[in-house]
Amino acid sequence: MDLSPREAVPTAQGRKRKRPWLAISVLAVVFVAGGLMVAKFLTSAVDYYCNVDEIGTKSGCDVGRNIRIQGTVQAGSVEKASSGATSFIIEYHGVSMPVQVGSEPSGIFKECIPVVVRGRVAQDATGKVFEGDEVIVKHDNSYDAENKDRVEQANAEAAQCSQKG
Amino acid sequence: MPDLSPVSIARPTGTRVSRVLGIASLVGIVWLVVFGLFLSPNDATQKAGVRILYIHVPSAWLAYLAFIVTGISSAAYLFKRTRSLTWDRIAGASAEVGVLFMGVTLVSGSLWGRISWGIYWTWDSRLTTTAFLFVTYIGYLAVRGLGGTHQQRARRSAIIALLATLEVPLVHFSVKWWRPLHQQESVAEGKLNGLMLFTLFVGIIAFTLLYVWLVLHRQRVLAMEDALDDQGLDTALAERRAEGAQI
Repeated sequence: MDLSPREAVPTAQGRKRKRPWLAISVLAVVFVAGGLMVAKFLTSAVDYYCNVDEIGTKSGCDVGRNIRIQGTVQAGSVEKASSGATSFIIEYHGVSMPVQVGSEPSGIFKECIPVVVRGRVAQDATGKVFEGDEVIVKHDNSYDAENKDRVEQANAEAAQCSQKG
Repeated sequence: MPDLSPVSIARPTGTRVSRVLGIASLVGIVWLVVFGLFLSPNDATQKAGVRILYIHVPSAWLAYLAFIVTGISSAAYLFKRTRSLTWDRIAGASAEVGVLFMGVTLVSGSLWGRISWGIYWTWDSRLTTTAFLFVTYIGYLAVRGLGGTHQQRARRSAIIALLATLEVPLVHFSVKWWRPLHQQESVAEGKLNGLMLFTLFVGIIAFTLLYVWLVLHRQRVLAMEDALDDQGLDTALAERRAEGAQI
């Protein structure tokens, strides 16, 4: 009887045996990444922002706390300093809040557009001011074709944006 | 109905149906490029940046579809009356294509976010749940590669797929359940009209055809891999039997 060791045959199991290490490594990365995402989501506010009219009234939207606030940039309120610092007023449901940020907002920032500002509400002698670190434009879900014939109508609508709340 | 039957190693993955599908998806993509880049108008607010919509939304919808197909195929495998490895291979192929489309969704969304929001990424409910869904299905594909018999692979990955499918409605309704930076639905609420809406439909049709074409070929490649594994096993068994006969 021949008792010498047999040569390995390239079977299905032999071919697959190399894969588990890659699969296990990917799974480890997936568990770490998934865990980090859940942790990040749970430690951030589940609701991404507070509306301007909720400051000081809704739980989690307190003065002095790091929060994000949402409102529409009031027409004619945007002022840019030579240093790049920008100030404007945001409004929501008839309640307004002055905002100061140290840099020029990017994206499609302009008057009459909804924005979310990250920062904190400060209280001084003149009232509440939002000291912003970052401005994010919050585009709504409506899309309209750019149409030169409607520019005047659009400008008229934009002029009234701050009155809508 | 396209031919979904397992293939032999000698047979290519293409059929007449898949070739027609391939040509149709190619034509659809050319249409999408023409409408998306040249014929559809700029958005009044986002200007040309809106054109990312025609990639971002179809790829997201197709990723949802792919993951739902993975879930249904996995359920079909677990159900005794319909149990077949073909369902398992369709589930795996669909998940692979779904991960591809989800990756496109995340990248295109990130670029679009930089243009319109001013940032590439933020941890809002829609973005986070989408990234989590993407990572979950990468994990599903990793589980498929853990080894074992075809039946073991099919059973454990089918259970995971059914659980992972529950994440799809979580992602879709995240913009309603929480208060996100991401916008609400546009199409269902009639906020997209005219040529912009038509271009979006062109994108969805083109990507759907591409999805079907990719899944057809990929599931046949998976069938070939399984056949190759079985053939290797049969060869090994035959050699052992031959050795036994010599004793």
